[in-house]
Amino acid sequence: MKKKSFGFYLRIYGKILAQDLKSKMSYRADFIISTIGMIFTNLAGFISFWILFRNFPSIHGWGYYEMLFLYGFSLVALTPVQCLFDNNWSLRMYVYSGDFIKYCFRPINLFFYFQSEVFDIKGLGQLAFGIGTLAYSWNKLGLAFTPLMLLKLIVFLITASLVMIAMQNAAAATCFWIQNSFYVLDLVTRFKDYAKYPITIFSPVFRFLFTFIMPIAFIAYYPSLVILRPDEIPLLSWLSPLIGVIFFYLSYKFWMFGAMKYSGTGS
Amino acid sequence: MENIIEIKNVTKEFKVLNRREGLKGSLMDLFSRDYKIVRAVDNISMNIQQGEIVGYLGPNGAGKSTTIKMMTGVLEPSSGEILVGGNVPYQNRAKNAQEIGVVFGQRSQLWWALPLIESFKILKDIYGVSDEDYDNMLNLYRSLVDIEPLLHKPVRQMSLGQRTLSDILAAFLHNPKIVFLDEPTIGLDVSMKAKIRTLIHALNQEKNTTVILTTHDMGDVDALCRRIVIIDHGKMLYDNDIEHLKGFFGSYRTLKVRPAGDIGEKAKLLAKELPEFSVTADDEWISVLVDEEKSKVLDVLSQIQKNHEIRDMQLQEISTEEVIKKIYEEGVE
Amino acid sequence: MSVKKYLTLTRAGIIESLQFRLGTLVIIAGNLLYLIVIYFLWKAIYASAGCDVVNGMTFSDTLIYLVLATALFNFMEMYVVWEMGRNIQSGKIVLDLLKPMEYRRYMFWTYSGSFVTQFFFTFLPTFLAVALVTKGAVPLGINLLYFVISVVMAVSINYSIDFFVGTICLYTESIWGINIMKQVIVMLFSGATIPLAFFPDALKTVAMAMPFQSIYNAPLSLLLEANPTPEMLLHTLGLQLFWVLAMLLISRLFWKISLRQITVNGG
Repeated sequence: MKKKSFGFYLRIYGKILAQDLKSKMSYRADFIISTIGMIFTNLAGFISFWILFRNFPSIHGWGYYEMLFLYGFSLVALTPVQCLFDNNWSLRMYVYSGDFIKYCFRPINLFFYFQSEVFDIKGLGQLAFGIGTLAYSWNKLGLAFTPLMLLKLIVFLITASLVMIAMQNAAAATCFWIQNSFYVLDLVTRFKDYAKYPITIFSPVFRFLFTFIMPIAFIAYYPSLVILRPDEIPLLSWLSPLIGVIFFYLSYKFWMFGAMKYSGTGS
Repeated sequence: MENIIEIKNVTKEFKVLNRREGLKGSLMDLFSRDYKIVRAVDNISMNIQQGEIVGYLGPNGAGKSTTIKMMTGVLEPSSGEILVGGNVPYQNRAKNAQEIGVVFGQRSQLWWALPLIESFKILKDIYGVSDEDYDNMLNLYRSLVDIEPLLHKPVRQMSLGQRTLSDILAAFLHNPKIVFLDEPTIGLDVSMKAKIRTLIHALNQEKNTTVILTTHDMGDVDALCRRIVIIDHGKMLYDNDIEHLKGFFGSYRTLKVRPAGDIGEKAKLLAKELPEFSVTADDEWISVLVDEEKSKVLDVLSQIQKNHEIRDMQLQEISTEEVIKKIYEEGVE
Repeated sequence: MSVKKYLTLTRAGIIESLQFRLGTLVIIAGNLLYLIVIYFLWKAIYASAGCDVVNGMTFSDTLIYLVLATALFNFMEMYVVWEMGRNIQSGKIVLDLLKPMEYRRYMFWTYSGSFVTQFFFTFLPTFLAVALVTKGAVPLGINLLYFVISVVMAVSINYSIDFFVGTICLYTESIWGINIMKQVIVMLFSGATIPLAFFPDALKTVAMAMPFQSIYNAPLSLLLEANPTPEMLLHTLGLQLFWVLAMLLISRLFWKISLRQITVNGG
């Protein structure tokens, strides 16, 4: 049997997505409440940010608008994981109840099939919020807006997304081994809130840790440097697209390894 | 005829955690754990031919699901060989999946929020079914069951019966060589059960699909299966025709009597008077299982009549249900 | 009313949470990492501020406050809203309602087991570590007693709020949206993410008027104050007591009314 092409998967995803959106629209109340919840989250995040900077004008030489840029950047970068990989949150439920087995019988990629089931539309609210913040700080920082800059922005946003997706995949997949993996997932989610601070505030040991072990530095810091500090870009920033892809691939392998090892609860 | 499934000396072992009891036990578990090896499937061999409907039976925890998971490629056997349609399922899960369909009684594999027809369309793409085959299949479905009211209903709004029906239709959609049905009639009412059995039978006839059916409902077995395989404690107990199974215990018949007076009381008395027979009672009848090789039914009847007035009686061949029960309880010599 | 049946639930909860050995380790390790992030972040913030005392709080005050707030959070967060929402959606709630115990109490005592384990596994070690590391920055005197009293009331308020929000799930399927709104508001206005001392005055007034500050801010300010004035003591504990009673009343009433409505409508 020939390998299924990328186009094949894209078509299937499109179909499921279209149908899913259609059915979601029929549950309007849920949609509205979730959206309000998302707005609340972002608003609260912004208020915390604002309170902090009202008291302290800068952190380690990073000014208000630069920090705001990091903040907006991280919000946009976190959208794909919110929208496309939200089913990871349900993974442990399927695994405990034994229902996960139902994903194992289709002749398509298991990971894809599982993730395709849910598209979380409320993530788009976050995207809008993030783009707004990014544009505002971009303007205030007086950054040039050229096609090259835009290209850089997009490439590095994708990079950052891949890293976040990778972290979430890996965290979700722990449920194949440990029982209350919810805490692992919750932990990773809490950590992503700290992705928006410059990595330089940490001591070298933790800089290493947050760069290579729990790579939150790639969610906003390293990629943003390319745009914010064009004169002093470390090698890691340039390497980050590659690193993002590698992290994503590893997390995918880990997820699949867990799923293959999984044998269903009970008999 | 060609074998579609070949299973040779297959064994599957699991490592299971021994948990200690109570608060102290839980604290001890925190620091040290001990595991034991459980053999869920123990040296099983069988061949299944294209077009067969095989009833795969056994009490809860006998190893049925484990075997099915190995055949579907979800589990790798600890030892032994499995070939499904010429493939080793575990090594080539996706390829194997193209050739099989699976239904788990109460776990729908359809998209919960989508109308059935949309699920079908997505499945059509996933399995790469051609437009022509798809239309033919839908037409076949229309001729077998009344699917129109189901097609535009989201799965989440369906009753259990409708959902099971939909799941079965979805499993056959890509015309697989083999369909695994795990407890397809569990929790359904009598008329829905009959409907589902008819559907499975018709699809098997029409498409020559091999069906592996696990169930606890002997009605399913009687209606669908010519051949049954029984396992318990991971070991194969029986693999043969259903008639042959009855032959095993063919010398058994059930004598049913309705005595005057309270049935419960009488049943207790009879159990004492006839210690060598198994005596059971329901609301209407007292049943005595008689092995005709050892004693004659008429002798038993006259013995009962000595002490009790009998208002009515019946003589029954042993049912599949009773045979299976005996096998579960006593095994096969 | 016998206490025994409640203690049985507590015991079952302890056993259940001990089953998850790896999970416990993950929680401890995760908290440690989280605390490290907070440490570096605030260290950088204070270093950039250029003065030792901001809004009446020194670096070590802020740190102790936030660390203990996190420890308190782990100890108090029980995911009651999720549990209730899930039980309501799956219909399992009907079984729970049949239990010979008021539902509100049943839920509380079911969770009391994880209170106990969380207290010993996360709060106590964190507290001891902080007390040792900061060498006397945490006063160890009569304030501990006030703190314990305050925490007990905080647990009650937190549970009442959770139960109130959980009850909303009887009306809507949108558990996620409801829960996230609650979480965001509680975290921000209780002072769990940023000490209330840093809030601008207007916002601080708003926060003090809401019940949330009684959950984290009240016990922590009592703990960090070696010699509280009688007024402060009376004010803080009195306000907490008010909220304990008010929230108890409101959440019970809301549950009662909702339940009646549900039973009448047969939903």
